[in-house]
Amino acid sequence: MSGGHHEENAEEKILLGDMEVLKSDLLTLNMGPQHPATHGVLRVEIKTDSEIVVEAIPHIGYLHRCFEKHAENLDYRGVIPFVDRMDYLGAMNMEWGYALTIEKMLGTEVPKRAEYIRILVAELQRIASHLLFFGTYAIDLGAFTPFLYAFQDREQILRIFEELSGARLLYNYIWIGGVWNDINDSQLARVKTFCDEFELNLKKYHDLVGHNKIFIGRTANVGILTPEQCYDYGATGPVLRGSGVKWDLRRKKPYGLYEKFDFDVPVGTGVKGTVGDCWDRYEVRVLEMFESIKIIRQVLEGIEEGPVMGKVPKIIKVPAGEIYLKTECPRGELGYHLISDGGKTPYRLKIKSSCFTHVSMLPEMAPGQMVADLVATIGSIDIVLGEVDR
Amino acid sequence: METIHLKKNIEPELTLGQWFRNVYEAIKSTAIGLSITFKYVWGKDVVTIEYPEVREELPSNSRSRLFNDAENCISCLQCAVSCPVDCIYIAAVKRPTDAPKMKTKDGTPIRLDLKQYTIDTALCCYCGLCTTVCPTECLTHTTDYEYASYTLASMKYDYLAPDIRAWRTRIVKS
Repeated sequence: MSGGHHEENAEEKILLGDMEVLKSDLLTLNMGPQHPATHGVLRVEIKTDSEIVVEAIPHIGYLHRCFEKHAENLDYRGVIPFVDRMDYLGAMNMEWGYALTIEKMLGTEVPKRAEYIRILVAELQRIASHLLFFGTYAIDLGAFTPFLYAFQDREQILRIFEELSGARLLYNYIWIGGVWNDINDSQLARVKTFCDEFELNLKKYHDLVGHNKIFIGRTANVGILTPEQCYDYGATGPVLRGSGVKWDLRRKKPYGLYEKFDFDVPVGTGVKGTVGDCWDRYEVRVLEMFESIKIIRQVLEGIEEGPVMGKVPKIIKVPAGEIYLKTECPRGELGYHLISDGGKTPYRLKIKSSCFTHVSMLPEMAPGQMVADLVATIGSIDIVLGEVDR
Repeated sequence: METIHLKKNIEPELTLGQWFRNVYEAIKSTAIGLSITFKYVWGKDVVTIEYPEVREELPSNSRSRLFNDAENCISCLQCAVSCPVDCIYIAAVKRPTDAPKMKTKDGTPIRLDLKQYTIDTALCCYCGLCTTVCPTECLTHTTDYEYASYTLASMKYDYLAPDIRAWRTRIVKS
């Protein structure tokens, strides 16, 4: 907390609702970097006028780990553990995007079974990531129990991943050319039972939280983003879909085997308030989990036998050139811009993260909100600071 | 300084019917929530594992503490090269030609004498890349995960030291 400071012309009147009150001094507050509602180490410098936020400036960089520069000194396989650590809640999706980028440059063909496994793990990861959002968002708004329920189901997914790859969060599972380990029948059966149980649970959770009167009161009509604002800032993922724009890279620019799969793209409809408010963004994520279950069921039906690793040279040398490739991650679009000079290491690997874009929208969303609504707004854009700072 | 307006919620005017509907919805949603809570109170098994007393068994391919079986190591340096954080330190000298011939378990001849094999576990990122390139499969991730220590220096494991080689019987998967 830092102290307030006095502004001149304190005589000016402001409007609080319908009341006209005397303008008080602006108070500068630091929210974070250890604030529990900022989901990591984000510091938001807010200027408040009584309880109204006048200005909010996000300060980032507390989790900067220099991954892009690191990648320039590592061979192409060695970058994968680092891209894992960007969005540590959606590590599988991060790896997949990177692997796709390199494969496209190399012209590697990925075996069918590996493609299926990739979709399976990516969608499981999407569920795990959205479940974490679901739990922590409820905590932000003062409900503790949903967090525990969400983590019980998330634990099931992490167990499956642990058996599959050997790690719980940072998998290094999707490799260039395929995946590390093959999935066996008992693991597939486990995924199936998880899907069946989880679908019932999720309905329950959505009733518990999403339709709760207090929750609706806290989130509906709060932090409204119009589609135009989203276009201006370049928002993607659930934030863009929450504003009612039907844009999903899995549908618009299918990668992997997504064009074969049948699933819907949920968008915000403004049932409880206005289109593009916090409740819509919440609902889009919950509905996406149902869609992910649908995709996983289709994977379990359609998975083919065969190898899981394509033909990749022992020392990967990517031909000189440039590529920009983006994939749909739990938090939005993740883009890799790779420049190669034909050597063993990338010449430059620029990563475009969606969370960074979403954080930059805070100064647009915050002014005129109550401080408590700012917490709801930051929670609803669901940022991971590891991806913002990289 | 311009005037700041509170972004007002766009809400229709409260009618008597709406008031009753609000009360009904509040009671209904609370009842749904409480019914789910009570189901969890009596209908579910305990999921918490009380750690020091009850220990979970990790899956066999879990990536925890590294172990190098130095007898089977051919000092090929592939693990050190593939390591993204450079935490493996190897020193080896050429084996004299008149020394007795040595072979690893899978029959690969050992042409270099291993003088140092140290892994700084404090730097290790547990990515598993070193174990996948190992040609004799002597470097493996074990399922041992309880090795927190007070100093960074004690996280440096010299796999030629007798006390660390004694782990072999305890933590290495067959």
